Amino acid sequence: MSDTHLRPQGWSRRSILKAGVGLGAAGLTGFSLGSSAFAADGSLNFMQFIGPNGPSKTQSEWIVHLVDAWNSANDAKITLDYVPDSEYIGGTKLATSFASGQGPDVFLISPGDFLRYYNGGVLTDLSPHIDAAAQADFPETVIANRKVDGKIYGVPMEVEPMAFYYSVKAFEDAGLNENDVPKTWDELLEVGKKLTTADRYGLLFETQPGYYQNFTWYPFMWQGGGEFQQADGKSAFDSPATVAALKLWQDAVASGAAPRQALGGGGSDIAANLASGYCAIQNMGIWGISDLANNAPDFKYGVFRLPVPAGGKYVTVGGGWAFVANAKGKNPEAAAKFIAWALASMSKESIDRVVDWCTVAKSDMPPRNSALKAGAAAFDKGMLGVFTREIHPGTRAEPRLPPEVYKMISDAIQGTMLGGTDPQQAAATASQQIDAFLASYKGAPLL
Amino acid sequence: MTAHLNGDRKAAKRAALRQLPTERREAVAGILFVLPDALGLLIFIGLPMLLAIGMSAFEVDGFGGFRFVGLGNYARMVADPLFWSALRVTLTFALMAVPLLYVIGLMLALLVQKTSRFNTAMRFLFFAPQVVSLVVVALVWQLMSVEKIGVLPRLIAGLGLGSVSFLGNPHVALFTVVLAFVWFLMGFYMLIFIGGLQDIPKEYYEAARIDGANRAQSFWHITLPLLRPTSFFVLVVSSVAAVSGQQAFDLVYVMTRGGPANATLLLITYIYQQAFQYGAFGYASAMATLLVLMLMAITLAFFWATRGGRFQYD
Amino acid sequence: MTKAPAPPVYDGQQRIVRLILMVITAILGVMAIYPLLYMLSISFKPPPEVFRSNVLPAQPTLANFFYVLTEVPFWHYLANTFIVSSVVTVVALFFHTMAGYALARLRFPGREAVFLAMLSTFLVSLPVIIVPLFAMVRMMGMVNSWAGLIIPSIFDAFGIFLLRQYYLSLPRELEEAALIDGAGYWRIYWSIILPLSRPIVSTLAILFFLANWNSFLWPLTVAPQSDLWVVQVAIANFKSQYSSAWNYTMAASVIVAIPMLVIFVIFQRQIMDSIKTTGLK
Repeated sequence: MSDTHLRPQGWSRRSILKAGVGLGAAGLTGFSLGSSAFAADGSLNFMQFIGPNGPSKTQSEWIVHLVDAWNSANDAKITLDYVPDSEYIGGTKLATSFASGQGPDVFLISPGDFLRYYNGGVLTDLSPHIDAAAQADFPETVIANRKVDGKIYGVPMEVEPMAFYYSVKAFEDAGLNENDVPKTWDELLEVGKKLTTADRYGLLFETQPGYYQNFTWYPFMWQGGGEFQQADGKSAFDSPATVAALKLWQDAVASGAAPRQALGGGGSDIAANLASGYCAIQNMGIWGISDLANNAPDFKYGVFRLPVPAGGKYVTVGGGWAFVANAKGKNPEAAAKFIAWALASMSKESIDRVVDWCTVAKSDMPPRNSALKAGAAAFDKGMLGVFTREIHPGTRAEPRLPPEVYKMISDAIQGTMLGGTDPQQAAATASQQIDAFLASYKGAPLL
Repeated sequence: MTAHLNGDRKAAKRAALRQLPTERREAVAGILFVLPDALGLLIFIGLPMLLAIGMSAFEVDGFGGFRFVGLGNYARMVADPLFWSALRVTLTFALMAVPLLYVIGLMLALLVQKTSRFNTAMRFLFFAPQVVSLVVVALVWQLMSVEKIGVLPRLIAGLGLGSVSFLGNPHVALFTVVLAFVWFLMGFYMLIFIGGLQDIPKEYYEAARIDGANRAQSFWHITLPLLRPTSFFVLVVSSVAAVSGQQAFDLVYVMTRGGPANATLLLITYIYQQAFQYGAFGYASAMATLLVLMLMAITLAFFWATRGGRFQYD
Repeated sequence: MTKAPAPPVYDGQQRIVRLILMVITAILGVMAIYPLLYMLSISFKPPPEVFRSNVLPAQPTLANFFYVLTEVPFWHYLANTFIVSSVVTVVALFFHTMAGYALARLRFPGREAVFLAMLSTFLVSLPVIIVPLFAMVRMMGMVNSWAGLIIPSIFDAFGIFLLRQYYLSLPRELEEAALIDGAGYWRIYWSIILPLSRPIVSTLAILFFLANWNSFLWPLTVAPQSDLWVVQVAIANFKSQYSSAWNYTMAASVIVAIPMLVIFVIFQRQIMDSIKTTGLK
């Protein structure tokens, strides 16, 4: 696109329109007129929601130290480009940067966004910069959803498995103790009902539509053997396991044990819901440990792993963010080197950095075997220990789906849980939609 | 002396100017007065808007890839059930919100239009919701509407009507959002109506009173007709606010994310999702273009109904 | 300025009607303000209490306000926001009164077309045009600058539209007298139209200032550098990935609301004074 499109000769309606189309297309194709304003000094920018000046001091310090350490030893400098979290995840900032031709050189993505960026051709293959030993250090359950054709396109910084948290006081009030922790879906619904009172719900699942709700629902589908795709590439969504998982959430709401709306930031906000006494059991990820330590330090709680359906097998889902490098950025190679150096080298600093992030900055499971070993002291202690021993071993990586498929599944969950749609019907509709979509889909495989 | 000379010089200048035909002078002045805003609007809204319209003829991936598809995005719209659902939700939302804002805004304005200390304090209260940010509005409504412990469900339960989930029930959620929207914006329209009411010369009312008209009659025969410019303004602005406004969008985004089960998925929310979450900028632009066309039709309808807010053509 | 027929003597019945209206107004006023009590209440609550349903904090604390004002450069963000809001408001009022006057009163070719074209820009909301707008503003080199924060925010058809509607209903006589006197259009605008616009301009000043005071999406997009943050961006920053420091969010929101309410009171007074002094209405 040349800039002649910007200067129509006469301002006739037609020429303005033409120029508009041209400029619109040009603006979208990432032509670069004018200066690169984000990093005028030519350094690489790293867009993320952690720091500097992020809401959590320990996390913010971690990333600032990381970048300082890199900059002191390398010529290709990195600048931190901080975006408040709410505008990063599901916000406009990252999309606007890419669409206007100024995507960041390094950025963070979750599995839910992987295919969109990979299929858009903006992810760099990082594997040439990660040696074999380090590649083997990432368990397949953690790295699979960041790989295409055996190449690594994103390096995870954390694994965040889902579990249930319960309020010790609510259990005591209902005459229950830790031995009554539900092990099956039926028990879950039953205990949930027992814990429900006039001003408290027994059970809480995420209620608002979005990537997060889908994420928390997937393990229930997997537990009964449900999948998204059959071996032949057709949708597998219309299966008894899927229907049962949809029905579980529907029953929880219909029985009055689970609410239709949550407090604060929603189902992922434990201080606002479980600690406030709004619910007695909350479907929640590992980050709840640090959130409770920060926001409700006196609150007594327990953690148990996801109950399974009759004849099902325990599995949970592990989310988490990964560093990725922009293939159309200023210097993709330097960006890739930075990522490999930061999170995927066998050096002690790299391993310790992962341990620090998962224990000091947050409370997460590490994505690397070596980090789990190096940080054993911290990972085996207290609630984190419960995750390490009981919950994490059944972790399956968060699925990567194209946004269109995510939405079809979201509609099925919302329709059954809150709209009263028949689960069988919802699964069949979603399955048809997925098939129709997959018929014309040409991107990396879904996982 | 100086003043006199000065005056002479000015008079000479004026005389020179007057040699231009009056109409010409008026036209030049008019154009110059409009110019700064016209240019600014053209550059910062008009052009981007044209670009957005242009984009609607392309399939755009958001990473530099684009392909001309002609009317393909519009065809996709027709076949997209979510588009129709979002359109229906948008129209329902607007049909509830616009009349409510008009009636409540005018009612509040009539109640507090006279200058008194009491009325000033009341204006302050009615306007106060406007001052807080949408994040606060969302949290506050969430607290009031949440099941079991919120004020609204307790009120309903107290009336013996059972338990209602104000934001979690697909049949109720949209009403709750309308309620929050009207609560948030009513002070704004109250201010606009107060301005309009103060423009009506009081002689009309005196004349009517002498003719024996009562309050209701003066309202119907003087206030409403003479409020036409303001009414046109309020109807257009509140329709835009309800159909494509940042505030309707923000409110839905923070209160429900379009849920439950797409019950509050406004077209503008869906456009946002398509653009920023799915990266379908072309498709989003096509829907946005349609939205603008719809609003133009609505505006023209109001323009016609209120005669453009002009009393006479000059 | 009173609109309703105000008879010189009130009989008892009218007094009762007035009293009832006042009571209704007061009840509505309390209803309008009621939800905001939650905001005020949470701003004084310690974190574990935030989502308890008690409106009165059990252990009221000022810690949230201290945190916001001392741990975060909140004064700096307030100053940024104040600069942006004031500059936008003043410049916008100047341009818009000129345009509104011309569109309402001056005859020039294409006037109604220009008006409708301007009005059509009002039908687009920011998320729809943010990508092309950002691309253009970046081309002009205004990213991460005051110019980028301020200039695109000035142009908004809302004010032009409202002012045009207002000028349509002003009596013509004053202007015509000035024209016969030989005054130019600039002088008519400056010494007749502007002074007559005081009430509406005061109202608009409140609305413009407010819109910019609370704006979020554009400042976030165009000026991500933290030394250019505005308050709403800073408030968004109290939210982390899974949870929010609602107590800080609410304390910050209370702090942010105060200057705005002061501005409301100041300009309301302006409106009333101008009505009294011009005696126009």
